[in-house]
Formats: sequence, C-alpha cells, structure tokens
Amino acid sequence: MKYRFIVDPVLCTGCRTCELACAFSHARNLKQGRSRIYPLTHEKDKYVPVVCLQCDDAACVKSCMFDALRRNEETGAIDLDVARCVKCMACIAACPFGCALVDEVHNEIVKCDLCKGDPACAHFCPSKALRYTKIAVR
Amino acid sequence: MVTITINGKAVQANEGEMLLAAIRRQGIDTPALCHHDAIEPCGSCRLCMVEITKKEWEGWTRSVTSCLYPVEPGLIVSTHTPQLLELRKTILELYLARSSQSEVIQKMAEDYGITHSSFPVIPDGDDCIMCYACTRICEELGCFAISAVDRGHDKKVSGPLRQPPPDCIGCLSCAHICPTGFIKWQDLDSTRTIWERQFELLSCRTCGKRTITRDFAEYLMKKRNLPAAYFELCDDCKRTETAKTMGKIVVAAQEVLK
Ligand code: SF4
Ligand code: SF4
Ligand code: FES
Repeated sequence: MKYRFIVDPVLCTGCRTCELACAFSHARNLKQGRSRIYPLTHEKDKYVPVVCLQCDDAACVKSCMFDALRRNEETGAIDLDVARCVKCMACIAACPFGCALVDEVHNEIVKCDLCKGDPACAHFCPSKALRYTKIAVR
Repeated sequence: MVTITINGKAVQANEGEMLLAAIRRQGIDTPALCHHDAIEPCGSCRLCMVEITKKEWEGWTRSVTSCLYPVEPGLIVSTHTPQLLELRKTILELYLARSSQSEVIQKMAEDYGITHSSFPVIPDGDDCIMCYACTRICEELGCFAISAVDRGHDKKVSGPLRQPPPDCIGCLSCAHICPTGFIKWQDLDSTRTIWERQFELLSCRTCGKRTITRDFAEYLMKKRNLPAAYFELCDDCKRTETAKTMGKIVVAAQEVLK
C-alpha cells in the first residue's frame, strides 16, 4: 500500500482554502510562502485545483542541468534541493503545467513536494476535493 | 554513517560528504563564499577553514578547508578557535583590500569586527574574489563559455581572449551563483544583456511575459530532448491552460458516467 495524492475537480468549490494552507505551511520569518496550488476556474462555477502532477518523465527534472530536482522515492514527489538550485528558471520555462514557480518573497524557486508526505492542502480542503489516501499500487 | 566530533559534540555524518556539510547541518555558522552544492568544491576562498585533529595525533592539529575535506571516522573538528578567528579576520581584511566596495564582504568583515583593511586598498579593485564559482557552474551546464583569462594582476573572468563569450546562452547561472553579485546583467524589454552580449528573451504567446532566453530554451530542447511547445507560454498561462484542459476532461468524463 502506498499513499496517493488525489485531486478531484468535481468536488472543488473554488474556496481557495488549499492555497491559504499551502502559503501558511510554507511561511518563514513570519512571511507566507508562495502557494504551490492554484484552484482556477475554467468555466462559470467550475474549478480545477492546478498543482504539480509529479510526472513520471518530468520536464522539470529533465530541464534542470544541476540535478536540483529529484524524485523522492519515499513520498513519490519531485523535490527541489534549494542548495543546488541556481535560479536559472529552466524548470519554470519547461514545466508544461506551470507548476514550478518563483517565490518572490523568499527569493527562491518552489514546487509542490507533497509537504514531504503529508500535504497541508489535503488536510484543509473542506469539500474533500484534495485527498491523500492509501491506494493499492502494483 | 561516520561519527565525528564537532566543537565537542559527537555527531553523525554521511559517508563521503565534506566537513562543511556536516558542520552546517549542526546549525554552526562557518563563513564560506566559494561553496555551492551544484558545483564541485575548489577551496579557493579559504574562509571555511576549520581545525582538525584525531586522538592519535597526540595534540597535533591542522587547519583545512572544510568544503574540501571529506569526513573521516574519529575526526575532531573545531570551527571557532582563536587561531581560526584570527585567520578568518586576515582573509577578510585581504578581501576588503581587494573588494572594498562589496557589500557582501563588508557585511562578513563587520561580523568579525573589521571595518577597514590593514592592507593597502587596491585602487582599481573590483568585487570579483576569483573563486571561479561562475566558470565552474558554466562548466556544469556544459557551455564552458567563460574562463579565467590572463595571469597575475590582469587575471579576470571573461569570454575567450577578453571578448564576449560566443558560447554563452544567457541563462544567468553564473550571475546568480556569484557570491558577491559582481556579474552584472540586465533585462530590458525582450533583450537580456550579460557578458557584453545581447540575447532575445522569449515572450509568452498569450500574455507577453518574458521567460528565458531563446538560446537557453533551444539548448534545453536539444540537450534534454524537450519539445518547443513547452516553452511557448509563461507559467501563469500554462496553469490557466492546464485548468481548461483538465476541466474539459472532467466534463467529458461526467458525460460518459451519466
Ligand atoms: S513541476 Fe511540472 S513537469 Fe515537474 S513534475 Fe510538476 S507538473 Fe511535472
Ligand atoms: S531554477 Fe533551480 S531547480 Fe530550476 S532548473 Fe534552474 S537550477 Fe534547476
Ligand atoms: S567555501 Fe571552502 S574555501 Fe571557499
């Protein structure tokens, strides 16, 4: 059994609680971090929480010439090693989903790392559109 | 795992890692200018010096650059002995003589109680401390666009033959890694200037926001086999597109399930 992060756009009401949870859980020095998740509307009253897909053959990992982006085998997420990052912006330019971001307040590149295996957004989503659940994987 | 002693405390270090990493993990503040995790250590700034000894060394100690010294079982490390503080002060005074205008150096020196150098200040000194972090990151990238040219007093980092580097792709990695912020660059409209060369910045097809240089994008496409389509939009517009696409899929799936 492994955990999977499930995004269910049908249940999303666009309340943006996940965005707040993300920004607050990444706060440092009393300043919010940049949210890694964006509930966006695509049609009237219809929302999709846009967040990193942790792709198998990820463009961000390929684009980083300095190996700062690597798969965390424990969480399944792609983690960004800030100490290796030189802020060249290749990953931001390359990610086809727009999920590698600049946190201008903390002056660093950020992306979803599933909170190292305990995503804050899933805890706070009131409509259960975001869930982190055990799932059987082959 | 390797057990070493840092400032009197026994700590675990990872096999093969350098002392600096183990020291930093303990939250101990050792100054270091030329170190960055993305490049191989080269020990040029000398600020990360620590004192090492071992039980069997019978009181003998050595000062080594912690960024270049791999952990060894039984190593006893001190990071703030009076001798080390003196050593760092001297190094900082030398840097202050060369790069008297550098805010980074000034701040570091201040932390060690130094406000001016007892060495004669070099009148035409600049903020380059010759650590070659820039040339090393450019090598890591695979471009080898810049290097040290000339020798002695005239030595400096530049493109070959002191000319603008033809192999540069304008990625700014060198500028961002430079510990003193000496490498200057500018983005103006759709043009980026660095190393006296001009590069075209890509613009988002939807909103016009500038992203990376065309040369950098083409380099990534070629080296890492990435499709050109990934580079057409900025991250904001890509998220909007993602919402639209996923939204359509959801609507279609709902139709099927009805
Ligand atoms: S940042 Fe983008 S490319 Fe990288 S894993 Fe996430 S969605 Fe995929
Ligand atoms: S911005 Fe950082 S993580 Fe992204 S590609 Fe460049 S070095 Fe790698
Ligand atoms: S960080 Fe070790 S010599 Fe510069």
